[in-house]
Amino acid sequence: MSTFTFATASYESGDWDSAPLVPPNIIDTIARYTSIDVSPTGVVVPLGSPDLTRYPLVFLTGHLPVRLTSAEREQVARYVDRGGMLFVDDHNHDIDGAFHKTATEEIRRSVGELRELPNDHPVYSAFFRFPDGPPNTGHELNGWGDNLLHEHLLAVEREGRIAVLYSNKDYSSEWGYHPDNKRFLAVDNTKFAVNIVVYALTR
Amino acid sequence: MRSRDRARGALEWALRSGVLILLAWVTWRSTAALGPSRERREARSSALRDSLEAWTLDPRAESLHVTLDELPALRERDWLVALRRAGAAVSWSSKGSSALALTIEPENDPAGGVRLALAAPTGSSVVVNDSLGVLDTVVTAGPSASLRVRALLGVASSAIGADSARATLRDSIARRGVLVLGSAGWEAKFVIAALEESGWNVSARLAVAPGIFVRQGGVELDTSVTGVVVALDSTAARDAREITRFVKSGGGLVIAGGAARSSGFGSLVAGKSGARVSAATIAFSDSAPRRALGFFPVAVDDDAVPIESRDGEIAVAARRVGEGRVVQMGYDATWRWRMQGADASPEAHRGWWSHLVASAAYRPAHQLRYDDTTVDPAPLASTFDALGAPTAVERATAAPAAVPALRGWMLLAMLAMLLVEWASRRLRGRT
Repeated sequence: MSTFTFATASYESGDWDSAPLVPPNIIDTIARYTSIDVSPTGVVVPLGSPDLTRYPLVFLTGHLPVRLTSAEREQVARYVDRGGMLFVDDHNHDIDGAFHKTATEEIRRSVGELRELPNDHPVYSAFFRFPDGPPNTGHELNGWGDNLLHEHLLAVEREGRIAVLYSNKDYSSEWGYHPDNKRFLAVDNTKFAVNIVVYALTR
Repeated sequence: MRSRDRARGALEWALRSGVLILLAWVTWRSTAALGPSRERREARSSALRDSLEAWTLDPRAESLHVTLDELPALRERDWLVALRRAGAAVSWSSKGSSALALTIEPENDPAGGVRLALAAPTGSSVVVNDSLGVLDTVVTAGPSASLRVRALLGVASSAIGADSARATLRDSIARRGVLVLGSAGWEAKFVIAALEESGWNVSARLAVAPGIFVRQGGVELDTSVTGVVVALDSTAARDAREITRFVKSGGGLVIAGGAARSSGFGSLVAGKSGARVSAATIAFSDSAPRRALGFFPVAVDDDAVPIESRDGEIAVAARRVGEGRVVQMGYDATWRWRMQGADASPEAHRGWWSHLVASAAYRPAHQLRYDDTTVDPAPLASTFDALGAPTAVERATAAPAAVPALRGWMLLAMLAMLLVEWASRRLRGRT
């Protein structure tokens, strides 16, 4: 059985390392709820490197504008063509910020047009059930950013599978804490990360 | 003096008797040849149809011989058989007709396609056609060859010169689904993706936590729904008893990677799995991509067949269990081939998995109706079967000439004997 290694994409522009606590927190959640053979530490993989294909699920985040190099665009297109899945989260939790505008444009150029993902998509029932679609984040509920509750995630699908999953919900902030602090939460807010990983590993 | 006369009298008597005996023999031979009006007819392939019509209407045509430049069509061969059954003596000879045979079977591949298997003399150039035109030309390296084509229209034929074998599809495959059992992981994801992209209807049950499974479609170990089970790892062994029953009733099983090491599959595997062999190369090449994969070598049992080996170790093997087939595939983490291989690797990975699954899958055939009377998959063999072995050409043509020649010699002998007898009588009085 192949070990699942949580991979974070680094890229030339912007601040790819804006949420350093997300990977260990998600790894902890995966180990906590599932029997998936998960590597205890994550890796950082350059978006323009052929090594990208060693990790069929890659997390990408940031606040700043994203401008991919031609090598990065090529690798992203190749990666998705082969069945890799890119999970992109806007650390600004808004729809008009620099990251959102530039990242969605780069995705459109490299992979294809993002579309709203229906809230009954299998990703919302892959492990835990989220009947109302993507769980809201504390920053959305506090009215920060664009002062909106984003009801849908966006996605590019290939052959009926999610190739790129895009979130405006700022899960990078929501999940960016030390795993030990889960014990202070009434409800574990990282459960949706399990769904994303299980979906990626089974679909 | 008297004794000399007596000797001459005896000689004359003997000569007269000899002439009478020869005359009787020649008369008998002539009568026998004319007797029941048994006349010989001959024809070549080019005029066979016209000759058959003429022979059928001619009551004296009772000894028929066909010299074949090419093998007769089914209709003409049946006609000769009918004449033989009507009482005619039918023989045939051939100047080297090609021993051709052709069969066609549908591929058990969702993308379709058919496989043409042909038999022909080694080294011959065989032209393969369907009703639309030429499909390919195959030069046989041995007594048989095969050809895969995406689609076939009407009747296919394989031809060497004027000889041809003709065949058509007689059945179609009622394809069943694939059930993938294992743990959530990259191998499961990419095996399912490869099979779905190849057109297979895939259901799955993947373990994600103790007692918790991700399910896709129904999980039914029944050959009416599922044609083949893919067991990716030891978590599939919880259903080993049901899988064994499924395989014995005709279902297929692909045991991948280290799943074969589970004791539950002990009665199904093609052989014991050894210690994992590491990849032989780092990069995936187009020519031998699986050298970059690790595998569990198979020590094949006596009733199993090695399918693929690497550096002297068997990586893939197969065996029959009851009515079903088991393919034991030792490679693990084949998803790396698709993700990290060369440009053609996604398609190659997809095709390889689809072929692996197809080779094990249960495939009930549905008979197709066909009414083409020209279908003749093995024309030379069926000519032997219908008309018997060919007659040697020389014998067939030389035999009728022998009797007239002998008859001429007999007449000469009779004439000589009569002359001697006459001369003896004429000269007797002068001495």
